[in-house]
Amino acid sequence: MSEIFALFQGLANGFGIAFSLTNLTFALIGALLGTAVGVLPGLGPAATIALLLPLSFKIGSPVTSIIMMAGIFYGAMYGGSTTSILVNIPGEAASVVTCIDGYQMALKGRAGPALAIAAIGSFIAGTIGVIGLTFVAPPLAEFAIKFGPPEYFSLTLLGLMMATLLAGTSILKGLIMVVLGLLLGAVGLDPISGEVRFTWGLLMLQEGIDFVTLAMGLFGIGEILYNLEKELATELVTRKVSHLWPTLKDWADSRWSIVRGSLIGFFIGILPGGGAVISSLVSYGIEKKVSKHPEEFGKGAIQGVAGPESANNSAASASFIPLLTLGIPGNASIAMIFAALLIQGVTPGPFLISERPDVFWGVVASMYIGNIMLLVLNLPLVGMWVQLLRVPYAILAPVIVLFCCIGVYSIRNTVFDIWVMGVFGVIGYLFRKVNLEPGPLILAFVMGPILERSLRQALLISAGSPLIFFKRPIAGSLMGFLLLFILVQIIVTLRKRWRTGPPSGA
Amino acid sequence: MKKLVIVSLMVFSLLIGSSMAGAQEKFPTKPIEVVVPFAAGGSTDVLARLVAKYAPKYFDKPLVIVNKPGGGGVTGTEGVVRSKPDGYSLYLGYGSGHDLVEPHFKKLPYETFVDLLPVCRLSVHSICMIIRSDAPYKTLKEFVEWGKKKDQVTGSVSTRAGSVDITLQAFGKSAGIKMVTVPFRGGAESVTAIIGGQTDCGGNHPSEIISHIKAKRLIPIAVALDARDPAIPDVPTFKEVGHNVVTAGSVKGVAAPKGTPPEVIQYLTQRFKKVCDDPEFILDMKNIGQPVMYLGPADFEKFLKQGFAEYGKLIKEFNIKLE
Repeated sequence: MSEIFALFQGLANGFGIAFSLTNLTFALIGALLGTAVGVLPGLGPAATIALLLPLSFKIGSPVTSIIMMAGIFYGAMYGGSTTSILVNIPGEAASVVTCIDGYQMALKGRAGPALAIAAIGSFIAGTIGVIGLTFVAPPLAEFAIKFGPPEYFSLTLLGLMMATLLAGTSILKGLIMVVLGLLLGAVGLDPISGEVRFTWGLLMLQEGIDFVTLAMGLFGIGEILYNLEKELATELVTRKVSHLWPTLKDWADSRWSIVRGSLIGFFIGILPGGGAVISSLVSYGIEKKVSKHPEEFGKGAIQGVAGPESANNSAASASFIPLLTLGIPGNASIAMIFAALLIQGVTPGPFLISERPDVFWGVVASMYIGNIMLLVLNLPLVGMWVQLLRVPYAILAPVIVLFCCIGVYSIRNTVFDIWVMGVFGVIGYLFRKVNLEPGPLILAFVMGPILERSLRQALLISAGSPLIFFKRPIAGSLMGFLLLFILVQIIVTLRKRWRTGPPSGA
Repeated sequence: MKKLVIVSLMVFSLLIGSSMAGAQEKFPTKPIEVVVPFAAGGSTDVLARLVAKYAPKYFDKPLVIVNKPGGGGVTGTEGVVRSKPDGYSLYLGYGSGHDLVEPHFKKLPYETFVDLLPVCRLSVHSICMIIRSDAPYKTLKEFVEWGKKKDQVTGSVSTRAGSVDITLQAFGKSAGIKMVTVPFRGGAESVTAIIGGQTDCGGNHPSEIISHIKAKRLIPIAVALDARDPAIPDVPTFKEVGHNVVTAGSVKGVAAPKGTPPEVIQYLTQRFKKVCDDPEFILDMKNIGQPVMYLGPADFEKFLKQGFAEYGKLIKEFNIKLE
């Protein structure tokens, strides 16, 4: 009982710290910057935090600087969906699945509801994530570190399979794209031995293909090339902007998706190295599975936006748990925050709550406030973004191309990457022509290196025995679930064929 | 727009930084770029940023830390090697795995000891072998006994063919156990793996594990240095417990590209020394588990070449090969 009392007292003190004028100001700066870098493809939260690190020494107080950096990190998750929905370019890996239904909604004139539900979902999920961080952080973190290579392998494989098998209309086409994505993900240095693979002797390919380059080429440039063919492409997007806000039906359709997405995101987000991308995949898969109208997915189902966008936000909040309670940074942005804390003489870890309660509770409390700020910031922006779609396509398209080029160039400051994006733009166009959905490719591209590394690490640990994936309880359950899932999928497909006679296509 | 944001962020942080800079001297007329060829948040990065924090007190222009990770450090280092030798582009981390260990296995795109000029040594990150506190063994001796009964023992390391990998493999050979090293993506991930019980042991730099030692999750059992590491003075060396595994550790110094004028090097050396003598800097370093171990250019060069030879000897003596 006294523990719960101490918890609320800590939280109250935290709000006292977070509500100071300085801290409120820096939370707002963080939220603004986060939204901006989330919308702009290319510059991610980790790079932004790195650029601002010198500033954090000048601020002096570790609480204030971490409040700002945390704001940038979770703020970026709000902005990430915007370009996915409006122009079919994912701002970051966690928003790839949002393209599938979000862009379809925009094509049907429903960009407003899509953006609004993404913002509202993000807010609810972010808040659920922080509540989790407040109350159940330590015991869950202990559980999360039990996740080793075999568990990551099983979880990633499950997430990838669920998203692939459920996203598209054709399983065969989906699998083709997955294999292509895995191959592209293998370009560069071997994750275990460090040998160079598939680079054709090009030094620029040694680090592999960048996610942003690939995504902007396949989605953005490919989409624009495809639209050039159609004279009335302009009207497709711009004419029918029906209403700005979600209808009651939209809300009824998506509220449970938001709740499910938040919970999925929270639990996957705690895993060090897991996080936003996998949780958005799993959420999309589950939403399609539980929906009464799975045929609407891929054609603009609002649940396909609400679920994944909620999941990636609560995953962002949850990824603070291993940092603040164990001193383990789970992703690049969190690692920057980790460094900033160390430099200011604060060691994140099990003693943080007792040694520096001001830092722990101040940051946690600021996250409640930051999420409200982000909602207030993002809702009015919906109207502005939708107005953007009224710009004639003849102007919008070249501007998008320009932004893509600048974004890609800014990652490593090389023109080479712009050529790579161009090549993938043409490939993306060809995919559209033959009706291949690029979503599974890019997801497999992101997941491929995780799959490969965890598979090989697990096999090193087990001296080559694949039984390691079945003998450990968590990995075994995940694998069992995966096999069951595939089996059900096969039975459903076979039964359908039985009824409709011989298949007409793949 | 994107670029604009980056540029304005940079200018913003530079302005704030340079507001502290004092009178002009000949050499630095603009900020000095310090390249860390590893990811942000790692132990080298934290060191660099701590130096940059104190730099405005002693340098006439701010130090700007730039992370250029990739290729185990080779990519970022090569960038410095190929840049203009005017002192505005420095490499921090000189003496890391890709300088002292990797050349024993493969040729790099540059000559580590020819194309780079030593400026000074800042710190040495020793390699400390760690085990989990709830493991069935508590000391190095018990670990060896336990390991001998197994077909293989696993050790998490930050990267293949890095200094930690070599150290654990050499220890395995010395102790007569089959050590299979499992590479992770950097020190932080490999610590997580050992804490989570994925591997039987691990190797890390003290700054990466000091909070976990304090929390009694990890037990440090031996340090691969000639003498004990001041960051963790209670931990014996491998030599003390009967294994001849001695390395130079992962050395963290500063280097400039070949052809940098001597007076520029001299300026840099002097100013870095002042940072290293600052009591507040020393205290901050101590708190993050990194000892300040300054050496001037001549001594540093000698130390590096000796360290390089030492790794070569270790690799040969224990016949370590890359798989």
